[in-house]
Amino acid sequence: MWLPVVGLILGVALGYLFSVEIPLGYVKYTAIAILAAIDTILGGLRAQLEERFALAIFLSGFVVNAAFAALLTGIGDLLGLDIYLGAVIAFSIRIFDNVGFIRRDVIMGYLRTGPREAQRPAAGGKIV
Amino acid sequence: MGLGQASLRNLTLRRLPAALALLLALIGFLVVAQVRTEWRIKRALRIPSTQLQELAFTLRDQERRRAGLEAQVADLRERLVDYERAASEGRTTVARTGRALQEMRALVGLTPLEGPGIILELNDSTRPPRAGEDPNKTILHYTDISGIVAELWVAGAEAIAINGERVVASTGINCVGTTILCNTKRLAPPYIITAIGDPARLRQYLRRPGGGLELLAAFDFPVRLTARNLVRVPAYRGTYRFEHTNVIGQE
Repeated sequence: MWLPVVGLILGVALGYLFSVEIPLGYVKYTAIAILAAIDTILGGLRAQLEERFALAIFLSGFVVNAAFAALLTGIGDLLGLDIYLGAVIAFSIRIFDNVGFIRRDVIMGYLRTGPREAQRPAAGGKIV
Repeated sequence: MGLGQASLRNLTLRRLPAALALLLALIGFLVVAQVRTEWRIKRALRIPSTQLQELAFTLRDQERRRAGLEAQVADLRERLVDYERAASEGRTTVARTGRALQEMRALVGLTPLEGPGIILELNDSTRPPRAGEDPNKTILHYTDISGIVAELWVAGAEAIAINGERVVASTGINCVGTTILCNTKRLAPPYIITAIGDPARLRQYLRRPGGGLELLAAFDFPVRLTARNLVRVPAYRGTYRFEHTNVIGQE
């Protein structure tokens, strides 16, 4: 699992190398994108732990969720309402949910089979 | 679960790290960019970016108010110019009014005046009254004084004073007992009448045949008339006061 770490380092390095200035008006969209990415990653991890991982769902979930959140944010900007907060809260709740499920999956896997095979049969639940 | 599905799962499972790497790279990039932006804002403005909207609103509000104040300043400057113009006009008006007022005061007798003129000195008769003669004939009467003053006015006198009492419009010359009053002030002989005007003309008129002075001289009253290049007439010391009078045609 060194590839994700490489990806993270690469992203950070790119962020440092190209000093991209995010205009103040787009800070909301950045927040949405970061939250959507974190949500997607956690959802993917959870899906993998539950052996339900599908790349199409993984990536499309990120793209569609981020796009819809961006749309909400844009509408909120048009209306002068902080609708993006709804997306932020929804993403945050999902992130905590996924963290909770991952935690449970990992702990249950440890308790049953030991560290190497922390896997569980698929249970009904949200994926990504 | 078929074989194809299994291989697909294997494929997708192998692709998970790549997808994770992609998203983590995105997160890293965005977070770093965001943090750098935030730091720059904090360094530059020393305020957290979450307050920026509020501050922007305040700024817009202040700018609007500033525009209003600038308009006010322009308006006030314009008015100031108007006021200055009015003030300069007013100053000339005030100066003109002041000059007019000074002239009025001089005409009315409230200022001491000087100029060429005559000094006429009259006194009671030095001749002792003859037996059986009316002693009134040997002293000057207020009518004599009044007549002389009237003659001076006719001769073109511009200002007259009797024994330092200015003759003005409200001056009355009368008597109480044996004392002649001018401006209700008691006069005592000798009576010195000072008049500003053309000295030659004044003297000529007073000395004319059948004039007041000739009559006085005929009755042996000592009369001394001198022309002067400069005589002084004091200011009226009384007061003008309207208690029952209303000025017509003035608001």
